[in-house]
Amino acid sequence: MTIDFSFLARYQDALLMGLGMTLRLTLIAFALGIVWGFVLALLRNSSIAPVRWIAAVYVEFFRGTPVLIQIFWIFYCMPIFLGTDLSNFTAAVLCLTLYGGAIMSETFRAGMKSIGREQYDACHALGLSPWTRATRIVLPQATLRSVPVLLSNGIGIFKESSLVSAIGMMELMFIGTTISNRTGRPVEVFTAVALIYFVVAFPLTRLVTWLEKRILKRFAI
Amino acid sequence: MEYEFQFHYILQAWPVLMEGLKVTVQLTVIANIIALTLGFVIALLVLSKYWLLRAPFALMIELFRCTPVLVQILWFFYCVPILFGIYLAPLPMGILALGINLACFNAEAYRAAIQAVPREQLDAGVALGFSPLQRVRYVVFPHAFRAALPVLITNGITLFQQSALVAIVALSDLMYMGRQVATQSYRPIETYTAVALIYFAISFPVSRVAAWVEQRLDAARA
Amino acid sequence: MTEIQPLVEMRGVHKNYGTLQVLSGIDLEMRPGDRLVVIGPSGGGKSTLLRIMMGLEDIRRGEIDLLGKRYITGHEQSGKTRIDSTLRKQVGMVFQHYTLFPHLTIISNLTLAAIKTRGMSKPAALDKGMQLLKRLGLESKAQSYPSQLSGGQKQRVAIARALMLDPRLMLFDEVTSALDPELVAEVEAVMLELAEQQMPMMLVTHDMWFAKNIASRVIFCAGGVVVEDGPPEQVLGDPVNPRTREFIERVFHIKT
Repeated sequence: MTIDFSFLARYQDALLMGLGMTLRLTLIAFALGIVWGFVLALLRNSSIAPVRWIAAVYVEFFRGTPVLIQIFWIFYCMPIFLGTDLSNFTAAVLCLTLYGGAIMSETFRAGMKSIGREQYDACHALGLSPWTRATRIVLPQATLRSVPVLLSNGIGIFKESSLVSAIGMMELMFIGTTISNRTGRPVEVFTAVALIYFVVAFPLTRLVTWLEKRILKRFAI
Repeated sequence: MEYEFQFHYILQAWPVLMEGLKVTVQLTVIANIIALTLGFVIALLVLSKYWLLRAPFALMIELFRCTPVLVQILWFFYCVPILFGIYLAPLPMGILALGINLACFNAEAYRAAIQAVPREQLDAGVALGFSPLQRVRYVVFPHAFRAALPVLITNGITLFQQSALVAIVALSDLMYMGRQVATQSYRPIETYTAVALIYFAISFPVSRVAAWVEQRLDAARA
Repeated sequence: MTEIQPLVEMRGVHKNYGTLQVLSGIDLEMRPGDRLVVIGPSGGGKSTLLRIMMGLEDIRRGEIDLLGKRYITGHEQSGKTRIDSTLRKQVGMVFQHYTLFPHLTIISNLTLAAIKTRGMSKPAALDKGMQLLKRLGLESKAQSYPSQLSGGQKQRVAIARALMLDPRLMLFDEVTSALDPELVAEVEAVMLELAEQQMPMMLVTHDMWFAKNIASRVIFCAGGVVVEDGPPEQVLGDPVNPRTREFIERVFHIKT
């Protein structure tokens, strides 16, 4: 058996299109997920007990079940509830956002929790109002501390996006599988696909490490 | 919304789902065992003085961590037989794919834990006359294992979730069986809800245990 | 004959954490200009006393007056610990662990509370902040971040931050305990300067020699009660109470 990557040149447009779709899905889900995750984190700290519980159950559920089943549920079951069909794009974005939001809400919570009690004491001693404390002291620090992990979460969404191929979404994984089936050469195709994912994700992970060090140094956080 | 919930289909399909769950649990447990041991070995190799040992395994860790698990699983199932002529049954293949993937994540956890052992502890080991091997055994390992434990448990739970991906290569785990039942009975809501609840019912208690372990360790260290 | 009105008056203050009784009936009085040092064994309630004065902890029973007006009332008497927030604004506190806000510059740290809670205009606050920094010799650090300052510098900024709000009473909770020895002196110098300017203060400190220098009065607090209360020469030099004597000898390693 010979390994020959040259035939892939024919498919490079298709692969690039797949990558483009993957990146689109990732970025949209990441942006929406950050906002949703932030809202969730606030809800989990709410003073109204039922709100706290529902938010907590939501997060635990999305963290405690396979993403694949979440995708299937949203794609096959939601339409029945909503009475309309969901395009696989909508289902994909929805699932990745709901899942990503759950993960990122935990990141926000960890960021908020890591602010030492002494800072709250200092705010109290200075007579700062709860609003000032929340907006000028807690929020900026929680956000700064969360940024590296949030980026990490984003890379995670990038990888999980490969699962939406299971509902026929034409992103990189789906395209790769199709090409492999058509040409009967899984080795070259899947290696190429893996390398494409790697080439995007690896530099980003390095960036996260670098950011962590920078932020740590600047603020001794 | 026109839909009648008919959960008795689930009761009928329950044995089938349980068969799938058996496979899932097998996958999870054995892959975890592989990942816990292999991960430690890889961590030690990555921390070695010799570049020739460090480099390939560092690369391996990055490859497995920066690509989707699904790609890795497909690669194992379709490419490894062709490349290496190794033909294993689906279940061992799945175990291997998941196990090696998780080993790389665990290696990172072990590595961070090993490097976090306080210098003073190592110095104390030297002062007490321990040989390097004894230092690893009596100072490094207890510290590192305790520090890494919460992450290792969380990683184990993640593997449990990711095992669902082997359904895509038609390995008969819980997810696969769920898919079969859902399509054959035209009852996606009941089926997928039931499957999700089964996964949740197992992973949630374990994650509580992980949180408790982490609390105990934090208290002990404080 | 006019009586000098006490600055602070505490009557029967009780506090517990759950079942642990930390303060079992504290009675004390602080005169204007007093520099009150609280000493005692760990867990004896010293820091708790200061935190109560700052309104960071509630009290079960008892009353505290500040500047002649009711300041704090225990929750056994009034359902919930009542505290007068206008009076609370007259108290400033510096903590053991810097607690400068790490994401703000030094000057922002100083001006934030003044602008947000005292309604000072930004230029006025900046002006005042820079003046305080100049007095401390730290004006070159105004745009720096806390992570770029030494421990001693951070604590001095923390003191300045409290002074921005013109407190009538300053509380110092072991502010030098976390510092390297060579940085302690510069912080204590600032506190001694404040003392010279007649700033009333309550301090908890482990540094007995500093206590002797700065205190106008010393209180030995153990087991949740005031065991001895008097001038530093007495409490730290020749205590009346045998418990105090035992503590002082252990700490100073000398026989009194």
